Amino acid sequence: MGKGLKLSDILVTIIIALIFGVIYKLWGPLYGVVATLGLHLEQLLYGMWFIAAVVAYLVIRKPGVALLAEVAAAQGEFIFGGEWGVATLIFGLGQGLAAELIFAAFRYKRYDMLIASLAGIAAAFASLGIDFYYGYIGDLALWNMLVLCGTRIAGAVLISGVFSHLLVQSLEKTGVTNLVRPAAKEDYQALG
Amino acid sequence: MPMDFSYKETWLHKINPSLKLLVMVLIFIHLLLIHNTNILINYMIGMLVLYLFFTGHPWRRLLVISIPFLFIFLTSSTSMIFFGKGEITWAEWGLVHITEESFFRGLHLGFRGIIFAVLGIVFALTTRPVFLFYSLMQQLKLKPKYAYSFMAAIRLIPLMIEEMQTLHYALKVRGVQGEKGVRGFYNKLKSYSIPLLSQSIRRAYRIAVAMEAKRFSIPGNRTYFYRLGFSKFDVIFLCYLLVIIPLAYITANHFPYFSITDVRFGR
Amino acid sequence: MTTIASMTNMRLKFPGAESLLFEDFSLSFDKGEKVLILGPSGSGKSTLLHVLTGLIPHAVEVPMKADALTIPESWGVLFQDPDSQFCMPYVDEEIAFVLENLQIPREKMKLYINHYLEQVGLEFADTHTKIQTLSGGMKQRLAIASVLALEPEVLCLDEPTAMLDPEGTKLVWDTIKSVGEEKTVVIVEHKIGQVVDFVDRVILLDENGTIIADGPKQTVFDQHSHVLVEQGIWYPGVWEDYMQENDRQMPSPINTAHVKPAVHLSDFSAFRGKVTALHVEEARAYPGEWVTVLGKNGGGKSTLLLAMMNLIKTRGTYHILGQDYKRIKHMAAYVSFVFQNPEYQFVTNSVYEEIAFSLHLAKWDQEAISQRVNQMMTIYHLEEHKHTHPYQLSMGQKRRLSVAASIVKEQPIILLDEPTFGQDAKNTFAILEQLEQLRAKGTTIIMVTHDLNIVNYFATKVWEIDHGKRVKESSALNYIETLQQAVNS
Ligand SMILES: Nc1ncnc2c1ncn2[C@@H]1O[C@H](COP(=O)(O)OP(=O)(O)OP(=O)(O)O)[C@@H](O)[C@H]1O
Ligand SMILES: Nc1ncnc2c1ncn2[C@@H]1O[C@H](COP(=O)(O)OP(=O)(O)OP(=O)(O)O)[C@@H](O)[C@H]1O
Ligand SMILES: [Mg+2]
Ligand SMILES: [Mg+2]
Repeated sequence: MGKGLKLSDILVTIIIALIFGVIYKLWGPLYGVVATLGLHLEQLLYGMWFIAAVVAYLVIRKPGVALLAEVAAAQGEFIFGGEWGVATLIFGLGQGLAAELIFAAFRYKRYDMLIASLAGIAAAFASLGIDFYYGYIGDLALWNMLVLCGTRIAGAVLISGVFSHLLVQSLEKTGVTNLVRPAAKEDYQALG
Repeated sequence: MPMDFSYKETWLHKINPSLKLLVMVLIFIHLLLIHNTNILINYMIGMLVLYLFFTGHPWRRLLVISIPFLFIFLTSSTSMIFFGKGEITWAEWGLVHITEESFFRGLHLGFRGIIFAVLGIVFALTTRPVFLFYSLMQQLKLKPKYAYSFMAAIRLIPLMIEEMQTLHYALKVRGVQGEKGVRGFYNKLKSYSIPLLSQSIRRAYRIAVAMEAKRFSIPGNRTYFYRLGFSKFDVIFLCYLLVIIPLAYITANHFPYFSITDVRFGR
Repeated sequence: MTTIASMTNMRLKFPGAESLLFEDFSLSFDKGEKVLILGPSGSGKSTLLHVLTGLIPHAVEVPMKADALTIPESWGVLFQDPDSQFCMPYVDEEIAFVLENLQIPREKMKLYINHYLEQVGLEFADTHTKIQTLSGGMKQRLAIASVLALEPEVLCLDEPTAMLDPEGTKLVWDTIKSVGEEKTVVIVEHKIGQVVDFVDRVILLDENGTIIADGPKQTVFDQHSHVLVEQGIWYPGVWEDYMQENDRQMPSPINTAHVKPAVHLSDFSAFRGKVTALHVEEARAYPGEWVTVLGKNGGGKSTLLLAMMNLIKTRGTYHILGQDYKRIKHMAAYVSFVFQNPEYQFVTNSVYEEIAFSLHLAKWDQEAISQRVNQMMTIYHLEEHKHTHPYQLSMGQKRRLSVAASIVKEQPIILLDEPTFGQDAKNTFAILEQLEQLRAKGTTIIMVTHDLNIVNYFATKVWEIDHGKRVKESSALNYIETLQQAVNS
């Protein structure tokens, strides 16, 4: 990764990531409040923490962007004093890698809602994997662990699949995405 | 964003940022290997000392920042306490099943959450992002492309808040009247978030062009305006940890708070 | 003479644009030349500078090709948009960023930083100052300093003084002249008064981005004066010509004895944070009056307009058409407003929608909207950009769009913050004429500007603002006379 990304790609990725880093930071207390209700309703919100990778990829559509965005967003949340401290960085790395792998598996050629959802699910699995060591979730009662996994995955599909795709669609309407995407062939042909 | 508040510089501020970050990652891994709540509590006290006395920020600010700690504790521990596996039942209402094991495992998770939070906030309060990225370039060979992008992007965040204000003005000036109710809220959310995102992307893009115009990409060895090296404060920091951590183990062995020494199920 | 930069048969097309911006465009610059590029707004001057420096296509991907292209080895470019110049938050870090790129040893950086700041006449007690806190003029000079730090052989300047007060303008030009002595300098400017004696070659572009004249300045001005007029480009004496041609009468002062003021301020203060940024003892503007607000950079002109739009914290008496401003729920119903930075006010995604926006809100029917919008687009020369995103317009086009979009509804009071900066002559007069028509119908116009010609030929009244106080109210006539007396004595 890296060689293919231009400075402008990187800067745009990071700014998207940091905006979501701020949202991640604000999401923490909300998640906390919902979590006290018990029953893993809060897990539906968890998908928000995968969104930077998906949105950045859908905007820029280049290899490496998803990973960079998720790590940058986690780094952002960390330096703004996020509640989970360094743990955020590890989760960010894992989730970013997972989403990146999905996009790579489709050779960076697909940008639809399905692929966004798949990336979200992959990120959810990555976070669950880390939580196995970090949160002892294997030691929850079986039904409870299944509820946790199920709601987290559902949340991932809803937020980082459906919602992020809609968000990027609205962004495309503003024309800003053209800045970071290659110009169309027709435009080059028009040069003669 | 510590640079927006005034604070006193302490020795924690003077530690090399890369070192600080690395040590924190090591502590993270180390903590994952601790399953004894007694050790964890002592560990936590050691870290709280750093937070309470050495960040150089005023008491009131520290107090406000620590309110979410409580939530961390609750979010990290409740489901485990209520729904965790265990054999010695304390209470049972419907789905909720509190056992001795699950209770201590929950407690353990809660304390661990607090340590991470404390360490994270200590880092945030005592590290200027600009220095962090200069140090990452110099000590950990992070590519300047990434480091400067981060620095530029972090600078854009306050500008984005200003941008939101401007957007508010613009809508007002153009005669947009807020609707009430859920629909109004949704529309409002949309009329702010999309322009804000697209504006920020445009601005980031322009800054990238301005950076190129200032020859950011010429190959060769950059020189650095800020030089970040190592100092006696790094040694002090490492010594502090080298004293505190063994101490946490020793006192936990000699004066345990609880009799459980491994919170994992079936150990 | 050695050629330092050149292009042969350059062709360029913005993605999605209907036609090519440049077609078989050839140009070359010799070492040491001082060149002025003139052309109507939207003709492609800024784009040309980007191609000349290689920013297009290396940093910005725009479809282009050329048979031959020579990019100068070292160049520096001052961008048109003042807000997108800076890469770092502090003054010293900004210049240091350039020095780092050039691999200047760290020990020498402090010395260099002070040197470049001194060159542009900037002084700081501590160079570690936040750039955000600088006034417009200081920012512009800092931007020049960081371009100079590149030690460029070729210096490209895109309207470096568009938003500066007369004093700042002079300082910046003096700076450019002294540091540009040895260099090749390429300048894009609309207002040529200050530069004309510095340059030796002038290139004229027409609105299609074709070169229509290129040569020593005297030849171009003598032989192509009709082209300047046709293309609506500024040239010495354009104001006099315009006034004569249109046979315009100076507006006569209005008899205000029996009319209620449209705007009445009294013991009125505006705050920036907790600081009183502006205080007005007493000021009135009547229907049919054209008030120009004059003053130095950072004096508080924009603050006054923002306060009158009730966007910042204010205190005191302020009546709009006899009503207390605090009682007015929707200011936009009475007052329209043009921000100093045109980008601040865009809320839609195309030129058409932007102008139609307030009409949609006012529930006009489609037919009427379309008619009105088309009319506005014609007046302001924006027809070709109907579907363009506002951010992709040239600077002058953005400015025009912001004016068009706010005055389209014809509210009784119009506040404008420097609506004519970065504009060619043709469009400046188009804007002024529109405003004049509205004024004649009884609209009150309050306009911030640094252009004394507007005071001379259009305004009826002047408010001078200095250090956050409205110092003086005078009729335009009196103001100009005192000014002339001061010059003569
Ligand atoms: N990114 C872009 N996408 C599409 N069109 C663009 C873009 N940037 C500029 N244009 C168009 O190209 C033309 C030339 O723009 P440019 O900014 O070079 O004009 P200019 O001569 O500098 O004008 P001004 O004097 O108003 O600054 C304009 O019509 C503008 O709308
Ligand atoms: N957002 C802000 N927050 C705090 N102070 C500000 C802000 N904007 C401007 N100021 C301060 O208010 C004062 C007046 O600024 P204002 O923008 O009104 O000046 P101006 O006369 O419009 O200048 P210019 O000709 O450069 O546009 C300046 O000293 C400036 O530093
Ligand atoms: Mg331009
Ligand atoms: Mg102003």
